[in-house]
Amino acid sequence: MTGIVVGKAADIPVGGRIIIVPFRGRAGIGIFNVKGRFYALRNICPHKRGPLCTGEVAGRSTTSAPPSLTEGYVGYEREGEIIRCPWHAWQFDIATGECLVDPAVRVKNYPIIVDGEDIIVDVDVRDFVADG
Amino acid sequence: MAQTIDKLGQIHIGKKGAAPIAAPGWTGKAADRVKLVDCDVHHNFHDPRQLLPYLPKFYQEHLLDQGLHLPGAGYANTPFRRTRPDIKDPALQERDFNFSLEFMQKELLNRWHIDFALLTGPPVFYAVAGLPDPDWAAALCTAFNDWTIEHWLDQDPRVLNAILVAPNDPVLAVKEIHRLAHRKDTAAVMMPMQTPDLFGKRRYHPIWEACAEHNLPVVSHIGGGSPGSTPTPVGFPSYYMENRMARPSVASAQAASLIVEGVFEKFPNFKFALIEVQQMWAVPLMWHMDADWKAIGDQTPWLKRLPSEYFREHIRIGSQPMHEPPQTEQVYQMLEMLHADETLIFCTDFPHFDWNDPVTVLPKLDERLHRRVFAENALELLRISDDMIEAVVA
Repeated sequence: MTGIVVGKAADIPVGGRIIIVPFRGRAGIGIFNVKGRFYALRNICPHKRGPLCTGEVAGRSTTSAPPSLTEGYVGYEREGEIIRCPWHAWQFDIATGECLVDPAVRVKNYPIIVDGEDIIVDVDVRDFVADG
Repeated sequence: MAQTIDKLGQIHIGKKGAAPIAAPGWTGKAADRVKLVDCDVHHNFHDPRQLLPYLPKFYQEHLLDQGLHLPGAGYANTPFRRTRPDIKDPALQERDFNFSLEFMQKELLNRWHIDFALLTGPPVFYAVAGLPDPDWAAALCTAFNDWTIEHWLDQDPRVLNAILVAPNDPVLAVKEIHRLAHRKDTAAVMMPMQTPDLFGKRRYHPIWEACAEHNLPVVSHIGGGSPGSTPTPVGFPSYYMENRMARPSVASAQAASLIVEGVFEKFPNFKFALIEVQQMWAVPLMWHMDADWKAIGDQTPWLKRLPSEYFREHIRIGSQPMHEPPQTEQVYQMLEMLHADETLIFCTDFPHFDWNDPVTVLPKLDERLHRRVFAENALELLRISDDMIEAVVA
């Protein structure tokens, strides 16, 4: 594994992200600031290899029961914690890389540390060789 | 092989008549369990006036004055008066030529060794589903159900009833279900598939709730329709073949509606059979819904499982008319993709010209799949008590 300084913490505000390509190759990684904590995900969706980290960061809907004749409430939860791939909209938990619509699937994530002002990501160089 | 010529001049090769010796997979031994359940048998009256004794005076006058005045399921130039020409009296020009229990016993139950047959009524009559007058629709359903009880039930333990209800007014439909649910031979609720609205809509949920309360499935046969509603989403076909090709789209829309609008989350023991709409549409429907659930399931967060899981647990598909692909091997592939061991229920569609007999409908299946398709799936779907099973296998 290789520690890489990917940027300054001050450059990624809460709710923001940057996408960097540390080595030659098409994918790169996304660095996200979710409520003050930083996370790094591989920018390849495990579904159809779409550019996952360019997707919308959002929450998800929630309800306890189908709408009925008397009730149709749908709530919203985990605002800012979920990324939706721009190709086919599969949802992933930014903090863990878990896919929320298929438990058998996850996107690779990387350890991240903040050292002073620097954000350092511990990446596996092999992930960034062109198309694996 | 022996040839005989009967008095109509027809040549019979081998054994005379249309009776099977044994269906594929049959053991030929005495019945120690239910082996053959037919989930689509059309019984019919030969004259609407037969319903008069079962109608209140007000509606008797209605019937005598105006006839059934059913809206009909659109223009359908059905050939052969819909019915198998080999078993009807050529002198009669009637449709749906299954007018009596005796006829059905002789030509279907006895000839083909059927253990249980589910009565599904005459397709022309399914237009009650679209009658604008909800009280007239409900009165006709009640009269038809009572006529069925008097002339078809209580005489043969093999005969089960799917009580007919008109969904247009759910309150009246629920009332009819509660009225007849206590009868042991009420095995299902029959509702035509071309309804004024999609089955998942919440206006229908009280009907599904009543069914679930009585442990009754809905067996929905293609047909019905409201005045002005078209058999295809793009209008009226010119010919009957086009009309038939539109059926899978109706079934797909209804199945998707039931699943996506959360009916099976609300009523976890409720099952729904779609009859005479072919079968294979269900495969891409399951695959496509699963893919979409992963992408846009956020719009319907009450769906906790893959849509195909709801399908396989709750929706059943009639086996008639069965696909006839060019290669027999493709039948087995189709059945596997369809999860036929869970979803497929045998239907003859007796007495129509396009019926399927139990012998040739499918190639030889392995014993387990044969039992699932020809008996067990239906036994698990329909409400049939243990003592009724004992009565037919004894």
